[in-house]
Amino acid sequence: MSEDAAILDYLAKGGKLTSPDNAPSRYRAELMRVMASFVDSELAGAAGFADLINEAPGIGEKTAAARIVLEKIDHAVRVLDIMGEFGANIARYQSVHPWASRIGRHEDIGATRREGDMRLNVFHYPLEGWTDAVTMNVLMGRATVIQLTELARCSYQPLAEAFQSILPEEARHAELGEEGLLRLAASGVGAKKAIRESVDYWRPRVAASFGGADSPRFAMLKRFGLRHNPNDALLTEWSASVDQCLSKIDA
Amino acid sequence: MAHFYPLSVTDIRRETRDSVVVTLEPRAEDRADFNFIQGQYLTFRRKFDGEELRRSYSICAGRDEGVLRVGIKKVADGWFSSWANDELKVGDTLEAMKPMGAFHVPLEPERARHYLGFAGGSGITPVISIIKTVLKEEPQATFTLVYGNRSANAIMFREELEDLKNEYMGRLNIIHILETEADIDLFSGLLTREKCDALFGRWVNVAGADVAFICGPEPMMLTIAEALKAHGLPENKIKFELFASARPGKAKKETANGKAAASGATCQATIIMDGIRRTVEMPKTGQSVLEAAIAAGLDAPFACKAGVCSTCRAKVIEGESEMEANYALEDYEVERGYVLTCQCHPLSDKIVVDYDQ
Ligand SMILES: Cc1cc2nc3c(=O)[nH]c(=O)nc-3n(C[C@H](O)[C@H](O)[C@H](O)COP(=O)(O)OP(=O)(O)OC[C@H]3O[C@@H](n4cnc5c(N)ncnc54)[C@H](O)[C@@H]3O)c2cc1C
Ligand code: FES
Repeated sequence: MSEDAAILDYLAKGGKLTSPDNAPSRYRAELMRVMASFVDSELAGAAGFADLINEAPGIGEKTAAARIVLEKIDHAVRVLDIMGEFGANIARYQSVHPWASRIGRHEDIGATRREGDMRLNVFHYPLEGWTDAVTMNVLMGRATVIQLTELARCSYQPLAEAFQSILPEEARHAELGEEGLLRLAASGVGAKKAIRESVDYWRPRVAASFGGADSPRFAMLKRFGLRHNPNDALLTEWSASVDQCLSKIDA
Repeated sequence: MAHFYPLSVTDIRRETRDSVVVTLEPRAEDRADFNFIQGQYLTFRRKFDGEELRRSYSICAGRDEGVLRVGIKKVADGWFSSWANDELKVGDTLEAMKPMGAFHVPLEPERARHYLGFAGGSGITPVISIIKTVLKEEPQATFTLVYGNRSANAIMFREELEDLKNEYMGRLNIIHILETEADIDLFSGLLTREKCDALFGRWVNVAGADVAFICGPEPMMLTIAEALKAHGLPENKIKFELFASARPGKAKKETANGKAAASGATCQATIIMDGIRRTVEMPKTGQSVLEAAIAAGLDAPFACKAGVCSTCRAKVIEGESEMEANYALEDYEVERGYVLTCQCHPLSDKIVVDYDQ
């Protein structure tokens, strides 16, 4: 058996890779893609949220928003460092894309990515004010936790460990969002209506970030041990989690 | 970005018939860059007949020993390991990247942790670095090492391990498993699942362990990890280090070059950048257009080198090419002739690539 075939066999049996040397070229490309998608989403998410710091209604909200921005950038850096070990030019990487750029609020891009930057589709849409930002943060926050829990088991051990350490902080971001949302909802009927409108806007867009049910790449990613649960299973889990959260708003 | 530093060889010790331990010294100004964490490795590069090979070797010194040392076992027909065993000498310079790798857990001196280590052959190198470091820096820690080798005279660091056992009386327990030669069944042959089960039943307390380190060949890693999990150790307490190399070895490279030479498969590539045209001769396989541009001294842009970020995008305005992977360009861009140069190989004998468009 050639060394590559032995490594692929090992991966299929649940083995872990630990250094760039171990990674066969196709595996490496898929791994880089997973990392780039995460990094770009964090950087684009942070850039979008940064504008909202000024719109936050109180000092507590400002602190929460600023902390989310800071930590998302830090999470991107931790994963960028791993990309760097694979030879990526990380200094250049962060300056390649205009992270704060957004498309029109009602353009429809489905699940596609644009112009070579690998951020998840949702991070291309603009936020409209504080309530909208908090709502998006709650919906996407819960999605991020589910997607990261999946990736925290991935077969590239240094990345799995990075995601394990990032996960509780991202979970905290989602919680901060939920606390904010409950406070907004308590402020009156008008606020609840605005939240519902934002939910209607963001829910399908966040759902699209899970990717298609029949993603042809999934089987390969599973063989590589980079993924374990299919997109539609994660989507179902997210949907139930969002319903449970929104029921608190309507209560 | 991959940056290499010169390290001078200050000592070479023959460890076993087919392994050497090499002591290295960075330049004074680079010393801080080579402060390593126990269990990390160095990646070296060296040209063999004009072709660069990169190989990684784990540091086998403890963190506070104040030296940089690697153990290199000769692999049959292996290029780098044979050269290091047979030709490398004191006074030579090796080039290496800063220490890398995450085969460790943060030290917690106040705790009395119990560690397990499993090493197969040269897989002992990062494990001995961890053993030395934790026994010294965590005064209440204990360590059980299960160490598999082909035969007694192939055991690397045999004496050093004995010395450690004596120095840290009662805190280091070593179980040798030898493929041949051992009298007792349990300690001979390969580390199979049955053998693990027997060991874990009597000799090794798995459920009470805080973390397990495994370093060895692929089948051994899988077997041990499975047995550990079955005996109650959660997956997140198992740390792996895999020595397998997916980098093209010399043999593979030679055949690739052979093919290229046989069909005369080189290409005259003209690269346009910042308005300047430069023409280079490049092989159709084994080198990307980006690599050819960089080799020609052009400051061609790149970030991920994996077809993901599109930093290396350029337009092919003459000739045919193909991409190995493309995760960044849309179909319409490809139709217009855009390529990711880090993934791009020429198909025609002439090609013109423009970074300015
Ligand atoms: C993170 C990491 C740390 C490592 N640490 C050490 C270390 O501390 N000490 C050490 O001796 N090695 C270590 N290795 C392995 C080392 O990097 C090389 O792979 C090995 O020395 C072979 O390189 P070569 O150029 O001599 O052989 P090549 O010319 O690449 O290979 C020749 C033949 O040997 C086979 N082969 C390749 N690697 C191995 C292997 N490891 N075992 C058996 N057969 C192999 C190939 O399939 C090929 O047929 C480590 C590898 C990694 C990824
Ligand atoms: S350098 Fe990122 S796609 Fe080529």
